[in-house]
Amino acid sequence: MDRYQYLLLMSACVLITLPLELYFEARVWRRPRRLILALLPAFALFVVWDLWATNTGTWDFSPDYTIGVTLPGGMAIEELVFFTVIPVCGLLTLETVRNILRHLGSR
Amino acid sequence: MPIYPTLAVSAAIVVIVVELCVLRSGLFREPAYWISMAICYAFMIPVDGWLTKLSAPIVIYRPEDTSGIYPIWDIPLEEYAYAFALLTAVMLTWDRVGASLARRSVREDVPA
Repeated sequence: MDRYQYLLLMSACVLITLPLELYFEARVWRRPRRLILALLPAFALFVVWDLWATNTGTWDFSPDYTIGVTLPGGMAIEELVFFTVIPVCGLLTLETVRNILRHLGSR
Repeated sequence: MPIYPTLAVSAAIVVIVVELCVLRSGLFREPAYWISMAICYAFMIPVDGWLTKLSAPIVIYRPEDTSGIYPIWDIPLEEYAYAFALLTAVMLTWDRVGASLARRSVREDVPA
């Protein structure tokens, strides 16, 4: 179970931010086309950076807490999840704060 | 300066320059952006703290490649610049893509 730690942490991030989509009308997950296009540039750059850092040894991932599935280039699959989940959490936060400020401003 | 802080600070600067000189979206003048970043940093501490805790790290850094400065738990200082670059870049592209889809009137929104 320890080997799922990284993935469980990412799952927790998805679950904890889900109410922003469901109850605060963030509308991030519900705009998949915009979401995918928005994620792509940073995803590409940060994956390249990640591959480089992993291969040069700047950082590495513990085999004890990752499931051991690596992609071509040696990147842990968890990193792909990270570069999707964390940006989505940021966008859900931004859209929720915007909605709240808009709501407060229009009262 | 070690490689990780050098790259993280460079990435943050590149994002700022791209916004101020190319995109000019005005995101940095929006209070919602700064409030969101404060919230994201608050949640980053438990998440990244868990990833980097030296007692049982998920992500292991080569010590000489980091700044060696750990203001909170075992999170390297440059990680905050990394987070700024990643989150701000995605927020900027999200707004940019949203604006261009709206111009081409591609509607994903079901009327609320």
